[in-house]
Amino acid sequence: MPEIKVNDLTHTFGKGEPGALTVLEGIDLTFETGSFNTIIGTSGCGKSTLLKMMAGLFEPSDGEMTLDGDIIKGTDRRRGMVFQQDAVFPWMTVAKNISYGPRLRGASKAEQRKIEAKWAEMVGLNGFEDRWPRELSGGMRKRVDIGRVYANDPDVLLMDEPFGALDAQTKERMQSDLLETWTKTKKTVVFVTHDIEEAIFLSDNIIVLSSRPGRVHHIEKVGLARPRSNEMRLTEEFLEIKRRLWSMLDH
Amino acid sequence: MKLVEILSSRRLLLGVLSITMVFLMYVWVTNRPDNNPALLPPISDIVASFFTNLNSGNLMTALGASLFRITLGFIIGTSLAVIVGCMVGWYKTVEYLLDPLIEAVRPIPPLAYIPIIIIWFGIDEFSRVLIITIACFMVCVINVIAGMKNVPQVYVDAAATMGATRFQVFRTVAIPAATPFIITGYRIALGAAWTTLVASELLAAQNGLGFLLQEGRRYFATDQVMMVIVIIGSCAFIMDRIFRRIQAYLMQWSEARE
Repeated sequence: MPEIKVNDLTHTFGKGEPGALTVLEGIDLTFETGSFNTIIGTSGCGKSTLLKMMAGLFEPSDGEMTLDGDIIKGTDRRRGMVFQQDAVFPWMTVAKNISYGPRLRGASKAEQRKIEAKWAEMVGLNGFEDRWPRELSGGMRKRVDIGRVYANDPDVLLMDEPFGALDAQTKERMQSDLLETWTKTKKTVVFVTHDIEEAIFLSDNIIVLSSRPGRVHHIEKVGLARPRSNEMRLTEEFLEIKRRLWSMLDH
Repeated sequence: MKLVEILSSRRLLLGVLSITMVFLMYVWVTNRPDNNPALLPPISDIVASFFTNLNSGNLMTALGASLFRITLGFIIGTSLAVIVGCMVGWYKTVEYLLDPLIEAVRPIPPLAYIPIIIIWFGIDEFSRVLIITIACFMVCVINVIAGMKNVPQVYVDAAATMGATRFQVFRTVAIPAATPFIITGYRIALGAAWTTLVASELLAAQNGLGFLLQEGRRYFATDQVMMVIVIIGSCAFIMDRIFRRIQAYLMQWSEARE
């Protein structure tokens, strides 16, 4: 089963040079298949760095990561990533963006149409298939990003503060919709955010990193029932977790 | 466009106004009794020269020769620029190899090569096309390289995490992302092509628009000189317009289309 493991990972920028900066130290983590995991921590704790390493965008200076037992080295389609910035290709229509991954692997026109229709529907973009990204709002573009990664059928989804740039209302909608998609596909998600409420609402497990260097400070198992609704954000159980996590983050 | 729309378009109206003003001023100056028509020919002479040269076939021959040179030089120059520029902008090894060379050659105006090209290849069709090719290549390649270097990293990373190979990223991400720069390169190259065309024909040609200009100077036919200037201006303008159309079509996706 696609389970992602991080073994004793340490990362130092400019290792061996004067002014070297250790951003992550001794990270040991296991993300179980199908679970929703969120890494939180104050800015500068190395959470985005960790996620990018899991994607294979760069290598840790020490330690290793495995996906389903295979050592992660370089990028491949098994670990899809949604970025904080807008990564929708502006020169492709919404549909072409969604079927980008399958097209790389030579999917037939018919297969592409099928995937486009399915994922446009899943992420709430039906009717927008032939639009250019410039015609969409920021929230809609994020839907394209998410749909495109899902349509590529990775084993693990890595999300780096994907909703960071959205307004509060859009953000809540996107969180609920993401959970719905996740429930339907049951793909392992590793999500990075600095928003405690977002982390609690979405996750099974919350990994709290301490900062400079980032170490695993605490792992919170979120016991809230699923499916989760927005009303839950105001329950005592939810708020208690929020208080606990809040006090852990360095302010 | 309907007449009402044309009249209500401030941009168009003012553009037409400035051209009309210059035209009227020219008519006014050439109609003054103290004007020397040998130096500043009246519009009627310029028009007459146009029809004389048109009927004798001189104009069409010249235009044909010039358009042939410019088209050939432009196509070869910009095609090479796209190939070389993409390689330099995308592959580090090629960049380290060729970038110093391009940077060293860049400040040299293409016209500076004319003497050596004439010595090597003679006053030949090949020489003229070569000069235009060099000019188009140099201005275009700089833009292509800039375009490839300005491909947003997040697009590259997104494609890579979806399993694209380095070459697939190049083909499906870098090239389209660099298109705005590449098209700008083409448009600047077109301007450079006209400049070098006329210069090379002034110096070394038996036909072409530059030759007609030179001939006009030799026979003191200022009406012919003026006529050719207007023809060159019109051709360059039309070509640029065609390019803008192509640009608008290719850049449908872009936020900044004009």
